[in-house]
Amino acid sequence: MKRADGEKILFWTLPVTAVIWVSAFFLFPGFTHPMSPSMTAAQVAAFYRDPGNLSRIRASMILFNWFAPALIPLLMLIVAQVRRMAHRTPILSYCLVACSAGGPAIFLVADLFWLLAAFQPARDPQLTVMFNDLAWMTFTTAVPFLIAQSLFIALAIYLDRPDRLVFRRWVALFNIVVAVALVPAAFTGLALSGPMAWNGLLPFWVKNIAIAAWIVVMSVVIGQNLYQRADGQAQPAAAEAVPA
Amino acid sequence: MRRNNPKRELWFAWYTTVIFYNFYFIVFFPVTHAQPPPHPYWSDALVANWFGHNHHGLIIGFGIIFAVAGLTAPQNALIAYSMRRMSVSRVFAWSYLVLYSVAAIPGLLLLCVALSVGALRPARDPAQLHWLYDFGLLSFTGTMGLFLIGSLVWMLAILLDKNRVLPKWFGYLNLCNALTEVVIAPAWIFHAGVFSWNGLISWWVDIVVFGIYTGAFLTQLRKLIQREDFGDGPLPELTKPHRAGASLAGTAP
Repeated sequence: MKRADGEKILFWTLPVTAVIWVSAFFLFPGFTHPMSPSMTAAQVAAFYRDPGNLSRIRASMILFNWFAPALIPLLMLIVAQVRRMAHRTPILSYCLVACSAGGPAIFLVADLFWLLAAFQPARDPQLTVMFNDLAWMTFTTAVPFLIAQSLFIALAIYLDRPDRLVFRRWVALFNIVVAVALVPAAFTGLALSGPMAWNGLLPFWVKNIAIAAWIVVMSVVIGQNLYQRADGQAQPAAAEAVPA
Repeated sequence: MRRNNPKRELWFAWYTTVIFYNFYFIVFFPVTHAQPPPHPYWSDALVANWFGHNHHGLIIGFGIIFAVAGLTAPQNALIAYSMRRMSVSRVFAWSYLVLYSVAAIPGLLLLCVALSVGALRPARDPAQLHWLYDFGLLSFTGTMGLFLIGSLVWMLAILLDKNRVLPKWFGYLNLCNALTEVVIAPAWIFHAGVFSWNGLISWWVDIVVFGIYTGAFLTQLRKLIQREDFGDGPLPELTKPHRAGASLAGTAP
């Protein structure tokens, strides 16, 4: 009988949390029509003072606060797969562990700034703008560990034994494309409008679609590995059972 | 780096560390002028002027850091690996890895966010710019415990180690690095003088110690990799190729 190590339970938490992440994304009124950095202080203050917006901001950011860290088990499942690769040292799995806390933790800092802005919407609009800027800049530039972990996964696959790859080669290529797609977000401070502004094509749409695609693709390839491994374990166990 | 070089992962981590420190120096000193840090006693108007003067440097420089800060991970991984070669519990390696990985957020990225937000709108109310300036520079300077405990963990591992992975003098140098995190604490109190965040002791002495320490650990880690003897034969076969967490190298936890 196959031993349950719990990895599949962690794996199946992902679709559930993904539904919550997508719901929270659409619940936050600042994402559905991304807030422009060129909004005036009065417009930003009005955004947080609107009673309809206020409850949605609080609800969405509380949901993100609860469930954004649920990404960490996915990252640890990737670490477990990298540990199976033909490497001589645990360097690359350590690198991924080192990256795993960074992404969700920085996102939670942005989450705090949004909740702070919403906590006292009647405060001086200039202060609300500052909290709003801190939230958007933290959220948009929160890419360093996401870029690095994609590159480390690509390198780990490249260094794996070619005749028995844990992840196929295209997964490495996909991770490099994701890393490249995330780089413009790091430079979002360059513009208050246009494709490089935090609500623009590159720092918002390309970055967030790349992250969503990365989560989906990596979840699928991890799921394939988990189920193939379970099949692989079942056969030797059956063979041993015959002589016994 | 040859694909079949048995030390490829170690050299990758070492070179990445060197590359990161080059980015770090170039961005923090000539590009953003965040180091040496400007004065803590400046008025709102002077701070606003500093943001206006350094607008492009801050945005581009910290943009580079946001893109490459993840390259700190291989350094932490390599240092953790050095402890896995020692005759001490793996708890040391894991502690260091977590401590220094978490440290990147308050000790590096919050500064970059706060000063980028300041630079984003140099016409913002100068009092708010001053708050962002204090927030950024104090979070960078005043994040102490993660580096303090991390350095002490590495020191203790080196001093307890029987495998002579790193020299004992380097263990004591970790203590010097840890002490810089102690003498920086008054920067939370003083606005001027030797203990302020850009003071003679809190910044200049500390940066010299940090420079020597960084040079020493890069050299020592390089020697460690050179001494490693993995041979050049094939990788060990996995007896159970699909077993989760199967160790491939003797060093894997």
